[in-house]
Amino acid sequence: MTVPLAIRHPPALGVPAVTVVHPSGCDAQALWKALATNTTGLSRNELEWCDLPCWIGTVPGADVGLPNALKQWDSRAHRLVWLALQEASFRSAIDGAIGRYGAHRVGLFIGTSTSGIRSTEVAYGVRRSSGQWPPAFSYRHTHSADSLCRFAAEILRLRGPAAAITTACSSSAKVFLAAQRFIRTGLIDAAVVGGSDSLCLSTLHGFASLQLLSEDICRPFDVDRKGISIGEAAGFALLDKAPSKINLVSGGESSDAWHMSTPHPEGVGARQAMVQAITAAGLTPAEIGYVNAHGTGTPANDGSEAAALRDVFGPLGVPVSSTKGLTGHTLGAAGIVEAIVTMLALEHQTLPGSPTLASPDSTLGLDTVLQPRAERIRFAMSNNFGFGGSNCSLVFGTDGVQ
Amino acid sequence: MSPLSFDLHSAGVLAPGLSCLDDLRAACRSGQLHEAVQPAAAPSPDVLPANERRRASQVVRLTLACIEQALTSSPFEADSLRCVFATDEGTGEICQQMLHALDTSRQMSQLLFSNSVLNAPSGYFSIGYRNRQSATVISVGLESFAAGLVFAATEAWSAGQPVLLVSYDPRMTPPMDELLPITVSTASAWVISAGMGQQLPKLASFSIDVVEAGNIRPTSLPSWIPTAWTGQGSSCAFAALGLLEEQETAELRLRWNELMLHVRRKSDRG
Repeated sequence: MTVPLAIRHPPALGVPAVTVVHPSGCDAQALWKALATNTTGLSRNELEWCDLPCWIGTVPGADVGLPNALKQWDSRAHRLVWLALQEASFRSAIDGAIGRYGAHRVGLFIGTSTSGIRSTEVAYGVRRSSGQWPPAFSYRHTHSADSLCRFAAEILRLRGPAAAITTACSSSAKVFLAAQRFIRTGLIDAAVVGGSDSLCLSTLHGFASLQLLSEDICRPFDVDRKGISIGEAAGFALLDKAPSKINLVSGGESSDAWHMSTPHPEGVGARQAMVQAITAAGLTPAEIGYVNAHGTGTPANDGSEAAALRDVFGPLGVPVSSTKGLTGHTLGAAGIVEAIVTMLALEHQTLPGSPTLASPDSTLGLDTVLQPRAERIRFAMSNNFGFGGSNCSLVFGTDGVQ
Repeated sequence: MSPLSFDLHSAGVLAPGLSCLDDLRAACRSGQLHEAVQPAAAPSPDVLPANERRRASQVVRLTLACIEQALTSSPFEADSLRCVFATDEGTGEICQQMLHALDTSRQMSQLLFSNSVLNAPSGYFSIGYRNRQSATVISVGLESFAAGLVFAATEAWSAGQPVLLVSYDPRMTPPMDELLPITVSTASAWVISAGMGQQLPKLASFSIDVVEAGNIRPTSLPSWIPTAWTGQGSSCAFAALGLLEEQETAELRLRWNELMLHVRRKSDRG
């Protein structure tokens, strides 16, 4: 017998609204269209300020500065936030939550890896050549990790607990579980969770130094995978203590205790996060109908995650895809982008495919979804893992399937 | 809502003039800090394997040395602690080194990039102590400690596990210190739990009431804390640890966004 999500213990949290900007467009509909047609949003790097040979994912409109009234906040990461928060239906859902609970009872948790560092990269060059920081440059308003929260709080008129979570590529997955804890302890009734990371020299050259930046488009789980393609994105979800059509059911978090920038070869930490998430949901692995993998496209990450997936679900035990071939690796925003992909999969009862996967690596033992396909799924998982061995798995569910 | 409560079991402290919790308690009692007494430069962390030890940045050394103090008298095994790391900029010299490399040769070392993530200290803690628990790193500017304390308390309550809270600010190097004037490194590490029973050894119990800030003003930092440290959020953690030397039910008010935290030491008689 299926237990409705509203009366499960612990109760699921409703996700009544989402918004996202990504390399394929500026809303969730554009993301779903790209997923449904299995079309990548990546292109060859033609940035004026970075000449690395690689593929990237740029958000349309990210080169345009913020409106004059918000100029002091202008950084590429904040532009992504601004674009994401233009979604009228999302804003109306937030206003509704503020109306129901009060602005102090709605939390704000934003994940990021590099925040607005792109602004400081430019300003640092000016400081080095002229001896002065650019007069208009404000570190506190552009780069400081918490500036993302203060900027978003100002736009959304939120007055509750607000914090940036920054654990590399798991950042904006962990925001869901921080919000869940705050709601469970009664500090808040709802929360806006999300993430933003923009293209910047730091990550492009950083991943190049680790020889993890692929010259080819990224091909997660492909026998010819050679590394990541970096994308930029921002996204937000409203979490509400009242369940809705799509819900956050549970999650798991762990650390690898292994290496700063290389995942545990057997995926011990990843396995622990997935098992925790499934156990906390009161489910068995067989009840998870789809896993949106972290699947970065590096040989080490995909091997590690595949080992963990085989361990938890059995060989070929669950349909899996990585949508990074579509969005690129959006780093600190990967958690929210892929949570939204997972929720869209539940909403549309369709498994996303793998647009850049040509020759699946059979040694990984995964049931990789190549083309989108309709399937009845009640629960789906989203995985995100990052530097520092930081792992987070989220389980989302819907009551709309019997 | 009813206040969040937690027990503080042990703590570590590092700053100029403060080489341990006892130094901080003495400064509270005397109202004076002997800032000239520098703690030894954060030691090379023995807990890390030799290859990782060489790679440890100053902020990793700072946090691991502070954590080691806290673990010495903690009633919990190091690998059983969930973690909340709370910091402002959080990487110190690494940020400047990376920006410099990008503005000159664009050749970044693997080590520099790996150490540039804000969760490098929590990652090295996990490696050093083989701790596979959740580690969350938060940043809320000068309010990072206040937020971190609530994160740690909610985590202790929700998970029913002890939590290691680390509040720290590594010194910024020129020219980044012109943007963020953090001139000395300060850190504290707290081992807390919630609802795990009365039998465990503890330093004190605390409650946190979270209310709308309105016109409530935060408590001024105690006079023994140098003025130069007011630009770093981890000083607030020193003020909070100072409650150990105050009368029972003493209170500290900390601002977090539009909220005010009333942190109170609970009476030992319950």
